[in-house]
Amino acid sequence: MARIYQVPSHARGWLTLAIIATSLPQLSDGPWWQSGLLLLVLGWRALVDRQRLALPGRLVRLVLLLATVAATWQSYGRLHGPEAGSALITALFALKYLELVSKRDAYVLIVLGYFVCATILLFHQGPLAALYVIGCLALLTASLAGINYSDTHARRRQHLGVAAVMLLQALPLAAILFVLVPRVAPLWNMQLDSGQARTGMSDSMSPGQVSRLTESAELAFRVQFEGQAPPPRQRYWRGLTYSYFDGTTWRQARPPGWSDRDTVYGGRGPQPDWYRDLRAADSGPAWRYRVIMAPSQQRWLYALAVPFTDLDGLALARDLRLVADAPVTGPLSYRVRSVPAAGAGATLDGAERELMLSLPEQGNARARRLAGEWRRRYRQDDALVRAALDYFRQQPFFYTLEPPPVTGDTVDRFLFDTRRGFCEHYASSFTFLMRAAGIPARVVAGYQGGEANGDYLQVRQYDAHAWSEVWLDGRWQRVDPTAAVAPERIELGLRQTLRNLGADQDGEGGGAFNRVPLLFQLQQWADYVDFNWQKWVLGYRQDQQRAFLERLLGAVTATRIALALLVAVLVTTALLALLVLSRRRDDPTRPLEREFRRLRQALRRRGLELPEASSAAVQSAVSGRWPGAATAAGHWRRYFEYLAYRLDQEPSGGQLRQLARRRRALLRALGR
Amino acid sequence: MQALDNALARVGSVVLGKPEQLKLALACLLAGGHLLIEDLPGMGKTTLAHALARVFRLDYRRVQFTSDMLPADILGVSLFDPESGEFSLREGPVFSQLLLADEINRATPKTQGALLEAMEERQVTLDGLTRPLPSPFFVVATQNPVTQAGTFVLPESQLDRFLMRISLGYPAPEVELELLAGGDLREAVRELRPVIEPAGLVKLIAHVGKVRASRDLIDYVQRLLEATRADDRFAAGLSPRAGLGLLRAARAWALIHNRDYVLPEDVQAVWPSVAEHRLQPREGGQVAAITQSLLQTVPVVRG
Repeated sequence: MARIYQVPSHARGWLTLAIIATSLPQLSDGPWWQSGLLLLVLGWRALVDRQRLALPGRLVRLVLLLATVAATWQSYGRLHGPEAGSALITALFALKYLELVSKRDAYVLIVLGYFVCATILLFHQGPLAALYVIGCLALLTASLAGINYSDTHARRRQHLGVAAVMLLQALPLAAILFVLVPRVAPLWNMQLDSGQARTGMSDSMSPGQVSRLTESAELAFRVQFEGQAPPPRQRYWRGLTYSYFDGTTWRQARPPGWSDRDTVYGGRGPQPDWYRDLRAADSGPAWRYRVIMAPSQQRWLYALAVPFTDLDGLALARDLRLVADAPVTGPLSYRVRSVPAAGAGATLDGAERELMLSLPEQGNARARRLAGEWRRRYRQDDALVRAALDYFRQQPFFYTLEPPPVTGDTVDRFLFDTRRGFCEHYASSFTFLMRAAGIPARVVAGYQGGEANGDYLQVRQYDAHAWSEVWLDGRWQRVDPTAAVAPERIELGLRQTLRNLGADQDGEGGGAFNRVPLLFQLQQWADYVDFNWQKWVLGYRQDQQRAFLERLLGAVTATRIALALLVAVLVTTALLALLVLSRRRDDPTRPLEREFRRLRQALRRRGLELPEASSAAVQSAVSGRWPGAATAAGHWRRYFEYLAYRLDQEPSGGQLRQLARRRRALLRALGR
Repeated sequence: MQALDNALARVGSVVLGKPEQLKLALACLLAGGHLLIEDLPGMGKTTLAHALARVFRLDYRRVQFTSDMLPADILGVSLFDPESGEFSLREGPVFSQLLLADEINRATPKTQGALLEAMEERQVTLDGLTRPLPSPFFVVATQNPVTQAGTFVLPESQLDRFLMRISLGYPAPEVELELLAGGDLREAVRELRPVIEPAGLVKLIAHVGKVRASRDLIDYVQRLLEATRADDRFAAGLSPRAGLGLLRAARAWALIHNRDYVLPEDVQAVWPSVAEHRLQPREGGQVAAITQSLLQTVPVVRG
């Protein structure tokens, strides 16, 4: 059977381009063989078009398909899941191009392309990625327009124009759907692994861990306050608390026998006692803000103490921090109300108190001795805490990013020998001392500070910080021994501190951050765009949508949403239809026609309606009404007719300006 | 163009008081189209055709169409020559450069059809033998208004073969006085001296095709065609062939006015004579008035 080639060549260019563009993100993320496959397909296709090669037969296609499936399995260890799935579908998308013969194949290919576009957004969600995907959509739509042109002389540019118009017309509908279609919790839990090691806090802290973070300028999260932001020294973004120490490493822990039910409350079910106590103390000034967090692959979130939120999927933990139901795999935005005074409602009971005092059986004897000495000297806990801080302040401790390595009794070695350390050393040894002195204490990890950019704060990995909390006067009090040693770290932030520390730290700490002012400015600006994108587009999730819809519709019910959707879509479609229908075929599209319209409208404003729309009519009507303008009208008409009918090409910009001058001269002559 | 002006002046010396119609007839000739003159008998149709033939020194034949005429009377016949034992074609009057088909609507449709086919093909096929007609080849047909008795109305498809249809009409009183006072017009026509040789005419016809029609102008022509199709006062709109003819006639008109580019006025000048005979009104419509009104309503320049 002879195969008739049904896809016009002018559409094929767009199709090829669309396939390349749509596959590129996957190629850059995925295994190497995908690029090889695409090159093979494109090369084969090019040879087919030059009639050097036939399209692959059934056997070859089968082999290619099996090889692709096998390679996907080899690379990902499975065929399902977001990564393997999109790798597979992108590869099949490319392979389908080798089967393209009929128009129907092209439709399948293009629809598949739209789907691949959607998979791009699984992994890339920034504003640039969105623009890129829109570009891909334009190319795919241009191909779609192309294969539906029967005219073999159709210009390639025309297709893109058609696609652009269609996308523009789709835009209002997309906006309506974006705003109104209810966000439902994902039906499946999309776990994006992809082995990309994220920088950020981990669930344990050992010496050197936080200081490694300071080498990264990667964004951790952004915060936008409603009203004034707190001063830097109060910006302690709590993420984790470590309450178990094994002599080297601090870990998260809870008293034996406790489960999530005892330590986390997510707003469902009966309120546990500890939560009710916190709520009872919920009074006094509060910070209200929105946090927009980069994916951390972890469950803990960052907030000032004591954070309350209404967002589904977030919960308050007993140690006064927020946790998410599932690891944060995509950008997450949440609104928080932090009430410092609510800390007074915290409780510390038997088992938990025991945990907060627990230390390894042995080791770090010198530190224990020091703590015992303090205990004897100071009966009051708060006096003891002050003494400990004084100790850090007065002894020759140094704040450095490159502390000498310590082994064995790490606390002792640091406190009495090296005395050079970073926040985790201070927090760790301070907490150790407190526990040894019988004061319940824990290490808190998170970020401290943040740089203002526009109306929001950027908190980057190098703002990572660790500090201590001690149980004093029936509540957890923050004590930051680092602030005692290096107060500027807290006041000015890490970057400034390191700059002050001078040459020996040169290039360390936020070194990835470029200090060229212009680049810095550009980066800040890009971050600003990104922030707003995160906030308004990606951050438009359940809570924001509900708030917005409540304002819009009064109450959020399924009926109202459905009605609003229906009305909005109908109105938009009607408006679009009206726009399309009202565009008369006679509307001027070319420069000369627009110029003519300007004159015609100017004459109409002066009360002269032309008997017909022609340059001859302009001259005779103007001369009849304003004899003084006859000459100018003649000038205009001659030049217009020269440009419109005599000139061999479209008039140049200069010629059009000349015509405009004659038009103005003509209109001036009317006034006289 | 000087030569064309001279030709017009000379024809004008025998067809008095009709300069516009003469120009249209000349434009039709230059556009390579056939001309239909619709008028009552005795209005000077024959004189016009003959005079045109004279000034271009065209081989001129005249056929008076009657109801008993057969196609062979126009095309010619194959005759058996007993001496050579072969058939030879005796050419009919169609083998001329300018054929005046007088009162074409008196012939039967069959005979009309034979002529019109020759006009379109510019060749004649007889007994399987195809013979080209001379070049240039023009038909000037005259017809009496269909209200007259004993006529066969030319079908629309045939009318489309004529590039233009004009009518001369009664002369103005002062022109008629001059006509009556003057000498023998037939004599005057015979004495007309040629201005342009047939070869020159062929060149001019080729030149017409080179007259520039800009995109704006072609847009205008297309809008006019479109308007006839959208106007429900007409039974049907103009065909693309009519559009090509309109453009060609406008080019010829521009050339007569010594321009190498077409202006909208050129299109408007030839518009009624090109369009009217191809358009059928729905009941009760006045084709001429409606066709003319389109010139007012269709914008020359969009804007």
